Amino acid sequence: MRLLSCSALACILALPFATHADENLFGYVKGAETLPKGSMELYEIVTKRSDKGAGEYDAWDMETELEYGVTDRFNISGSIKLMSIDTSGLIIDGYLPGAEQYGPKFAGGEFAMKYNFLSPAKDDFGLSGYMSFDYGTLDPHSGKDKTTRSLDVQLLAQKYFMEGQMIWVGNIAMENTYAVRDPLAVQPTANFDWPLEPEMEIEWKFGTGLSYRFMPNWYLGAEAIYETEFETEVGQERWSLFAGPSLHYGGPSFWATLTWFDQLRGGGEKYENQYPDENNPVPQADTDLHLVEKTKDEWRLKVGFNF
Amino acid sequence: MNNRDWAALCFIPATVLVAPVFAQDYLSVAQAQHALFPKADSFVDSTITLTSEQRDRIKALAGVRQRQEKPPVWKAMQGGKLQGWLLVDEVIGKHEFITYATAISPDGTVLGVEVMSYRETHGGQVRDAAWLAHFAGKHLSDPFKLDQDVPNISGATLSCRNITDGVKRLLALHKVVLAS
Repeated sequence: MRLLSCSALACILALPFATHADENLFGYVKGAETLPKGSMELYEIVTKRSDKGAGEYDAWDMETELEYGVTDRFNISGSIKLMSIDTSGLIIDGYLPGAEQYGPKFAGGEFAMKYNFLSPAKDDFGLSGYMSFDYGTLDPHSGKDKTTRSLDVQLLAQKYFMEGQMIWVGNIAMENTYAVRDPLAVQPTANFDWPLEPEMEIEWKFGTGLSYRFMPNWYLGAEAIYETEFETEVGQERWSLFAGPSLHYGGPSFWATLTWFDQLRGGGEKYENQYPDENNPVPQADTDLHLVEKTKDEWRLKVGFNF
Repeated sequence: MNNRDWAALCFIPATVLVAPVFAQDYLSVAQAQHALFPKADSFVDSTITLTSEQRDRIKALAGVRQRQEKPPVWKAMQGGKLQGWLLVDEVIGKHEFITYATAISPDGTVLGVEVMSYRETHGGQVRDAAWLAHFAGKHLSDPFKLDQDVPNISGATLSCRNITDGVKRLLALHKVVLAS
């Protein structure tokens, strides 16, 4: 019902607004274009993360974002985030205390800025800088209360081919996070580790995408992101390579992008499922994936309206 | 995916069905002909079929490829004399094609440009006479660069870029095929 209501709201609000630059052809990687001065764009973004290879695991991230063109080159945006989760049958020491089900719940907000150095349509190659400050109130993996403060800095590249019929984008990102968990109300197992000291993490992301307009208004593409994260206690905590197709519709009233993101490979920390017996933990079966902080796949739906 | 997820995704195609269609046809071919050659008393259909060698030469001169093998071309005549050439062309906008007509003098100078169909909701300023006037008098040797000799329209940069490149390409077509 929560996913249905969020998407319904997004689509019912399909008033006759114009579509502009900064239309997202991809679900995850970002383009380099910015909104023209004085324009605004409203985004509804819903992401479903599913399957950790044991038990049941579904999580939904919902974000409503408003972006504004301060100048033709400089945009700002603000967003509010919600989260839902439904997990059971999985206990991961230090990461996932056990069953949790709720939603949607306030998960934080974000403020971002984007500056366009080179226009992909005018300068033959597009380049923008992007920075965001994120404040989170929930741990995206377990759904437990956790305060996070993140600074994300990105370089966004974009190039048009075939007079704009094909678009390539590339991103390099670095995110620094300071996180503090709230204590657990109930200890799931006798020796369950749930650090309450502040954690510092550095994440690097390298993304790329290619999209092709196969008929008027419709684009089909593919995107991929390699992520790696380093954390104070364990060093390289995880790495993952996700990739998948993206289908985009851009029309006079709104645009929408649907992406399926599959984890092709992953590594770093692996879990031993302590459910139902912490004395007989079951090792992670999919040894070529990272499933502690990631899932096997994700679906993302973005809908945008300009005015 | 469970039933909730599928139900949410089904809203997207449903919205596409009810979204208003925004295709805008402003000028017919006949209207474009008379707007660009008001003194012409006849237009002779001179549609050509380009060879691959001609298309390669056009791309080398213009920097962009000539997509259409059979571009619609008319001779504008007045009293039996050639006034110029009218070419109808299509370029890619953000979502759909833009149809425009370009009038070129016998010696390869742009006499005028008219946008016949513009199917994007934003960026309609490409139809304004003030913007189109920047093309009048241009030759193949001109820069044809946005914010240099042709102003950009924010939010419609791709449309501006493609129309600008298109007019230059039509001048190249004139030089390769029509001028002789």
